[in-house]
Amino acid sequence: MMNQPLSRRDFLTKLGVSAAAANFLFSLPSLGWAASTSARKQRIVFLFSPNGVIPAHFWPEKVGRDFDIKRILEPLAGFKDQMMTLHGVCNKIQGDGDGHMRGIGCLLTGVELFPGDIQGGSDTPAGWSQGISIDQYLKNQMQAVPEKQTRFGSLEFGVMVPDRADTWTRMSYAGPNQPVAPISDPYQMFDKLYGQSKNRELLASVLDDLSEDFRRVEKMISSEDRRILEEHVAMVRSVEKELQTELEQSKKNADVGHAIPDMPANVESENDNMPQIAKMQIELLVNSFAADFARVATYQISNSVGNPRMRWLGIDEGHHGLSHEPDKNEDAYEKLIKINTWYCEQVAFLAKRLSETPEPDGSGSLLDNTTIVWTNELGKGNSHTRDNIPFVMVGGGLGFDTGRALKFDRVPHNRLLLSFAEAMGHPVESFGNPDYCGDGGLTGLV
Amino acid sequence: MALNYGVGQFAIAGRSPTTASSDSKSHRLFHFGRWGVSQFSFYPFCLYRFVPPFRCRSSLIRPNILRCFALATLFGVVMPCLPAWSDEGKGDSQSRGAQIYATQCASCHGAQGQGVEAEYAAALTGDSSIGQLAEIIAETMPEDDPESCDGKDAEAVANYIFETFYSEAARVRNRPPKIGLARLTGDQLRQSLADLFARMSGSSWSHEERGIRGTYFDSPNWKNETKKIERTDAVLDFDFAHDGPGEGIKPEEFYIHWAGSLMPERSGEYEIVLRSTCSCKLYLGGPQRSFVDNHVQSEGRTEFRKRIYLIAGRGYPIKLEFTQRKRKTDQPPASVSLAWIPPGGVETVIPQRHFVSTSFPAAFALQTKLPPDDRSYGYERGTEISRIWDDSTTQAAVEFSKLVTDELWPQYTRKNKKKPNQNRAHLRSFLDEIVSTAFRGSLDDATRKVYIDKQLDATADDAEAIRRVMLLTIKSPRFLYPLIDTNRSRSQQAANRLALVMYDSLPADDWLLKKISKNELDSAPQIEQAAWSMVSDYRTEAKMRDFLRHWFEVAESDEISKDEQVYAGFDKAIVSDLRVSFDAMIDEIVWSEPSDYRQLFQADWTYTTSRLAELYGDAWKPKSEPKYASKDNASAKANGLEQSPLVRSVSDSKTRLGLLNHPLLMSKLAYYKTTSPIHRGVFLYRHMFGRVLRPPNAAFSPLNADLHPKLTTRQRVELQTNEVNCQVCHEKINGLGFALEGFDAIGRFREKENGSPIDASGSYEDRQGNKVQFKDAHELADYLVKSEDAHRAFVEAAFEYFVKQPVGAYGPDKLSELTERFRNSGFKVRDLIVWIAATAATEPVTSNQET
Repeated sequence: MMNQPLSRRDFLTKLGVSAAAANFLFSLPSLGWAASTSARKQRIVFLFSPNGVIPAHFWPEKVGRDFDIKRILEPLAGFKDQMMTLHGVCNKIQGDGDGHMRGIGCLLTGVELFPGDIQGGSDTPAGWSQGISIDQYLKNQMQAVPEKQTRFGSLEFGVMVPDRADTWTRMSYAGPNQPVAPISDPYQMFDKLYGQSKNRELLASVLDDLSEDFRRVEKMISSEDRRILEEHVAMVRSVEKELQTELEQSKKNADVGHAIPDMPANVESENDNMPQIAKMQIELLVNSFAADFARVATYQISNSVGNPRMRWLGIDEGHHGLSHEPDKNEDAYEKLIKINTWYCEQVAFLAKRLSETPEPDGSGSLLDNTTIVWTNELGKGNSHTRDNIPFVMVGGGLGFDTGRALKFDRVPHNRLLLSFAEAMGHPVESFGNPDYCGDGGLTGLV
Repeated sequence: MALNYGVGQFAIAGRSPTTASSDSKSHRLFHFGRWGVSQFSFYPFCLYRFVPPFRCRSSLIRPNILRCFALATLFGVVMPCLPAWSDEGKGDSQSRGAQIYATQCASCHGAQGQGVEAEYAAALTGDSSIGQLAEIIAETMPEDDPESCDGKDAEAVANYIFETFYSEAARVRNRPPKIGLARLTGDQLRQSLADLFARMSGSSWSHEERGIRGTYFDSPNWKNETKKIERTDAVLDFDFAHDGPGEGIKPEEFYIHWAGSLMPERSGEYEIVLRSTCSCKLYLGGPQRSFVDNHVQSEGRTEFRKRIYLIAGRGYPIKLEFTQRKRKTDQPPASVSLAWIPPGGVETVIPQRHFVSTSFPAAFALQTKLPPDDRSYGYERGTEISRIWDDSTTQAAVEFSKLVTDELWPQYTRKNKKKPNQNRAHLRSFLDEIVSTAFRGSLDDATRKVYIDKQLDATADDAEAIRRVMLLTIKSPRFLYPLIDTNRSRSQQAANRLALVMYDSLPADDWLLKKISKNELDSAPQIEQAAWSMVSDYRTEAKMRDFLRHWFEVAESDEISKDEQVYAGFDKAIVSDLRVSFDAMIDEIVWSEPSDYRQLFQADWTYTTSRLAELYGDAWKPKSEPKYASKDNASAKANGLEQSPLVRSVSDSKTRLGLLNHPLLMSKLAYYKTTSPIHRGVFLYRHMFGRVLRPPNAAFSPLNADLHPKLTTRQRVELQTNEVNCQVCHEKINGLGFALEGFDAIGRFREKENGSPIDASGSYEDRQGNKVQFKDAHELADYLVKSEDAHRAFVEAAFEYFVKQPVGAYGPDKLSELTERFRNSGFKVRDLIVWIAATAATEPVTSNQET
């Protein structure tokens, strides 16, 4: 088992890909290409980590461009110019459901949960969200515009999200009462993205063995019966030929984002494999953006009240359990900082991978046109507050004026959702509960 | 393809797309003598495009079309005859017939009657007697001057062609039928994959009790100490409201665990409809295979619909977990129902007979769409190799390998945890077991090397290795061609055939594999004994049901619609109930102790529902309580779905003739407003009597009933077909079809039509030329049970449906032998199937060691 997160180099080495091949595989710049004049591809990723943060080690003290980077955000130091922190954005949605449930269920939807039977904490029980989430809303809008259409529209990645459909495990909604399950198994995601191509590749590689076996089988039957078998083997051969041509073609296209990434073998969905799974999912996300399979994604690390045990950081206790400890428990406090730093490392790794992957049309990197919105269901774990929800953005997808720490005065987070919609080119008057949208999108972002 | 059986719609003349392609490849020497053989749809419909209805205003049809129709019915276009010759013996007649044929007929019909592409392409084959042939030649040939050839010349030609190539005997002599090599048909592929999966996951068993096992807890989850009720519920349709599900269980918090297996009776796509006001999770197909996950109860989310392809005769484990959770807010009243829309049916709470109260092992039902198979011989044959079929086998392999990876492999790993696993030994032995089951026999080294070792070497990833192996295996001729097994032991070959005939599948059950390994299927008695063990299997029952549905032409699940004015109340729900009633009659007749074929035509009872009784009257009143009634069931109509349980009807010897006049069949063989004696006659002639009718080359639409308001249907048909050329066929068709005129277009008994009394008299001329008269359907039914033609037709149809090979290939006398044995057994259908399977499994097989 690994004690350290894999570097990209390690990851690729594990995959058995040389550095030179890696450039090929991940389609590094071909310098000769002119920047496209058409509208840029805007992308957005909502990256979730659970259970609140330790605010004193998260939020910059100084606002504006000259902001300071605290311990938890340290992994993002290299992206200081491309990032933005938004303090003072509050999830004000009331109604049924406990803090964690409303924390995740209303985070991207901005609307109350339905009454239901899921009881958490001391609040009233609740069901699913009453509305669509911003990622799915954007997906629908973009899929309706021909030049923004992609194969999937959106992709929902999970990392160790428990195999349990409940209010705490879902943040994305296709509509009222329609939670969207994230795909936590990288192999399943790979199958969704590349399954068909991969199957054709596999088929191509076994057909030779197959037609050879036809020859052995033919000997067992009478000459009269051979006709159908001959017809059959001719069919096998023609498919084989077709697949070969197709594969050669796709090899030629590999440098424009259509390569099928390799996956490390036999990685089980187990707690201790979380770092590896997180990386695999990030690679698939970056690849699917490069191939323009989708321009909207969610990346959900465990779930609200998620309880991963980060033994690779030397922490045996689960995250949720620790998050309830009072601040004066120094051991827990320190561990929570480390845990949140690990989450930040994932954000940074995604940002890094996006930054080193060029746009297929040559106009800069994927990160230039992608915004990662890192967020959380709570402001702080032990108080369960949904004030000052962590919102950290990295990248240029939304065209915001990055490289700044902003402070707002307890604004409802619905207004931020409106800003996302507007920045993606699909402005809307209200999103979620209109009571919290009165003042429109947030000002001062652009 | 559907058109063989597809009546009831205005089909278009010509070949169906699926059969057309195989046409050119195989010579149709043998198919004209069989039931459901033509690649054309039924006559009256074919005609539609050639003669628009308005042309038929006059009762006379345009002569040129009529002529064309009549001539083509039996023969080619030109058949000149020489002038009458005088006295000679039979041998001379033969040689003169040959001479006439060679000089005057062969240029259009071919030297051996095989047809001439540019002139008259169809072969001269059929089952008319010499007398009938002579009559037709005399009356219709040559085309331009039919009267110039008659008498002895016509007889001579008739005699010659009959003996040389026309008759079935001549055809068998010229080209004896053979067992043909064929790939798995679509159904066989589904069944084989299902059993391949079952080999690893476990087979189902026979289980009496119907219904679903409910365990009720006075707690929100399974706790033995809070278990309050254990019982078998008939159906899942409960409205507990705020009262709780039973004694000792608090209404505000409880958990019910229902488990059993779902048993579909018809293969096809089902829409499952789960309604629940509480948290619930439905698993279908396997204990961990989530079908609906409604762990969270959320206001307004109470209905879940999902489609799934299910195979008849297989049990799918089903589990429903239902939880009412305590809460501080108001609880919704608790209700739950599990309904489905079966193929060709309407939404209904899943009836009790489709549940058994035991949980079978996980099962595999292929969801990949497969192209239809050639059906031009009256039964499906895997003879077509098309790209779309090839692609579908790839998809099937991918789909199958996914479940192998997700379910079978982890299960296998758990079981073998303690065994050493060097060099991926577990994966190797796991795959060895799957591949040898798929290949119907153990693997030799060379085969294992290609199919397993080489594929494992190609990748370190287990899931990918499994996918490689499954792709290669499922696309292999060793799997796809079940009869390529000459390298196998005698017992293995016999088992392969038994499984293929009985289940459309491969040997996968433990007991059968044991017999193979002990070489206990080496002799005819051993084989027949094994066939007896297989005949009462759910899979065989399903195949039997399907055979009889096909034989009675009601297999398709397409819509049957009737004029709402004339047949008020005949709607989709009725058709759905009729299908169920039909199936239940099949099951009862075949699987009851007497298993008496004659009941198909003579049973005076049926299965009915309240809806059917309301529409069809007293004869459809229930005789008993529902077969699977359950009185302690607190079932309620929570969702407004009318439940109409199936029950046995009262007897009614006056109007009921087994399945022969079942309203499903009668309404299918009828028009929108009126009956169709022609459809019914063709059906009887071909299927029930196994006789041959050639399709017409031109098409007619039926006379418009509104334009002949005073005529009965019978009179209109007579009017339209009374022309001598029409009579060539219609004297065979009409006489049978008219006998069912006592049953209207939805199968209700009637004594009058348009104010005139019904004339249901009819006739039939058998293969020997004996003419039989019946005064009504009763006499027809009585004749059917004793008719030699009908007995042969049934045995042959059963043989070919089950074996998918011509019965003649198993010996020239095999059909007569089986028919005789069938008759002597008291017409036991079950026994017949055993003998058929045993016949197919004891065929002379060659042994040919693989090199």
